[in-house]
Amino acid sequence: MFKLSDEGLKYVKNELTRYEVKQSAIIRCLYRAQDENGGWVSPDVISHLSAVMEIPSAQIEEVATFYTMFNKTPVGKNHIQVCVTLTCGMLGGRELCDSMMKEAGCKKTGDVSPDGLFTFSKVECLGSCDTAPMIQINRDPYTENLNTEKGLELVRKLRTAGGAGASGKGH
Amino acid sequence: MLKSVTSSGVAAPQATTGATSPQAKMVTISINGKEVEVKEGSTIIEAYYQSGLDIAHYCWHPGLSIAGVCRLCMVEIEGNPRLQIACNTTVVAGMKVNNSSAKVKDAVKWGLDFHLINHPLDCPICDQAGECGLQDQYMKYGQYDSEMGEQKVKKHKVVDLGPRVVLDSERCILCSRCVRFTDEVSKTHELGIFNRGDRAEIGTFEGKPLANNYSLNTVDICPVGALTSRDFRFRQRVWFLKNAETVCTGCSTGCNVKVYFNKEGLFRMKPVYNPNVNGHWMCDVGRDTYKFVNKEARLLEAKVVSSGKSQEMPAMELAKKLGATLRGHGTSAALVLTGSYSVEEYEAIVSYFKTDVGTKNIYHWINNPETFDSFDGLLFRGDKNPNTRGLLEVLKAQGISGSWKELVDGIGTGAIKTVVVAGPENQANFPDMKVKIAELSKVAKLVWLTSGKNAELDALTGDVALLPVKSYVEKAGSFVNHAGLRQQVDRVMTVVPGAVSLTELVDLMKEVGDAMTVKSTAATETVPAISANQIGQGRINNEFTLSRGVW
Repeated sequence: MFKLSDEGLKYVKNELTRYEVKQSAIIRCLYRAQDENGGWVSPDVISHLSAVMEIPSAQIEEVATFYTMFNKTPVGKNHIQVCVTLTCGMLGGRELCDSMMKEAGCKKTGDVSPDGLFTFSKVECLGSCDTAPMIQINRDPYTENLNTEKGLELVRKLRTAGGAGASGKGH
Repeated sequence: MLKSVTSSGVAAPQATTGATSPQAKMVTISINGKEVEVKEGSTIIEAYYQSGLDIAHYCWHPGLSIAGVCRLCMVEIEGNPRLQIACNTTVVAGMKVNNSSAKVKDAVKWGLDFHLINHPLDCPICDQAGECGLQDQYMKYGQYDSEMGEQKVKKHKVVDLGPRVVLDSERCILCSRCVRFTDEVSKTHELGIFNRGDRAEIGTFEGKPLANNYSLNTVDICPVGALTSRDFRFRQRVWFLKNAETVCTGCSTGCNVKVYFNKEGLFRMKPVYNPNVNGHWMCDVGRDTYKFVNKEARLLEAKVVSSGKSQEMPAMELAKKLGATLRGHGTSAALVLTGSYSVEEYEAIVSYFKTDVGTKNIYHWINNPETFDSFDGLLFRGDKNPNTRGLLEVLKAQGISGSWKELVDGIGTGAIKTVVVAGPENQANFPDMKVKIAELSKVAKLVWLTSGKNAELDALTGDVALLPVKSYVEKAGSFVNHAGLRQQVDRVMTVVPGAVSLTELVDLMKEVGDAMTVKSTAATETVPAISANQIGQGRINNEFTLSRGVW
């Protein structure tokens, strides 16, 4: 059973005081809970938030399934989101994604690599077209101006680093 | 004496519409070039309904909050360059609204085309066909060749949302009526719209069943065939069913309902809007109260058991025999009444026992004393009789106040030799049925008036007579609900031709030897009277009722 940490609980309670309608706090609380749950929103997370926030679980599920930034399946320690919209796409975003996935051992996007370190997603524009192709790992600052070599290097580096994400900031 | 029964003190669920009280100020606006007076503060869509005009819509429902998601109720407002949605725009004096212009019709046509992008064309096997919002609007505003060439999105079909409701996601147009119903009316919050875009679907969190006692209202308000009733699915095409208004006899709330029937019997019940009783809704338990009326569950002929031999006979013959036995029987006879019958029937049989039989041994059978006063806060009451209040008023007026213990003691000592029981119509609501049968069958002669079959009654071996009586759809009469509102109902249909009402029974018993004449009230009852809108003095005509009801 998922339970928020004491700080997480404090955070959620504080969020609830910030809005006229408490449903407004769902997104921020889901983010927090997703971070504490290893990067994904499990049914447990929703049940727990529903109890803590006193909001029906169906309403939290509605928000969680609407936004793609909430992962509904487990992800690896490094959730690598590769931009494949126009500029990044034209400069090889998809190929970058495919070769990094191969290196990491993921068969398709959304899969967790066998070592549990990587999950890849192809995402829409992250607003950094001047530095294309680019990726975002978890919620860290962008990793930009990539090419296949740099991408593979990054995967290897992350693998040697083991558990922690690039900046250790969590999902 | 029933004049004292008033229609005051009614605590009714409030319809959550923007419409205000009858004293509300009126404003004049122009709809489709016609000047009309509507209540101040109404929305434009309510103004259309108040003036009896047609407007396309799916998501708006008078009993729910405004969602504004279907975009079909587009109207042109003079001075406003863009079309507006009528459901979320309030009228102001002098407003000029139009939904008959080419611009509006084109907008509705496109709205429909978008709704139908992913809607399967399975009308021939869809249960909603015949009462479907999409079909209706398409015939009125559509009739185009679709300009959508894409493959339809596949979604979940035949999803068991709960014990009574089945979901077909492909048919759903995401109007969110059902979601709003569980949020605002039943307040159980099971349903939500998950995912987004063309993958959005109605569902419950983690498949938790939609099992509240009001779940079938979501089927009623679903404008398409996405939510269907497991009970009614595939049983009849709706256009083969007639309907008539009556009152639900499932509990003492007395919800106004429509029963749907054909010559085979009843098939389903749906609520009818009455702001003083049930608003737009009714409970799931109430919807099952058509089942005991149908032939399979009924006692068809009278049956007499004496000295081990059982004999069937027409009810009329038995009634006359009973009359001969009971006349002047005196205080060794007793009458047991349940709250299932109409006020008129109570009056007839109680006065018959007082004057013709000569006894005041009349007792009220209370089926579930522990939960009698319970109430779920919305509609469902613990008193599972339609007319307990009417019975009590009649007994009070006739000065009768016998306790159940008196009856049991009387049977025990042998002071009471004959008991006539006007038994429950809906036996499922009488958990003490077995106990009471055991208690009462100790008497020397037992006469049980019942509309339904009962295995325990059939198994009795003493001196027993069973007489088939009419169910609530087979007779006219009035029922007094928990709040004292007297509602008059008409006869809907005949299911068991041989059954008699208590009033007819009394007339037959009185006319011993006088052949085959059923007079007075009984005579009026035989007039076929399938008419809508006759129930309830407290009934207020529904300004929102579409010609065919709000689907």
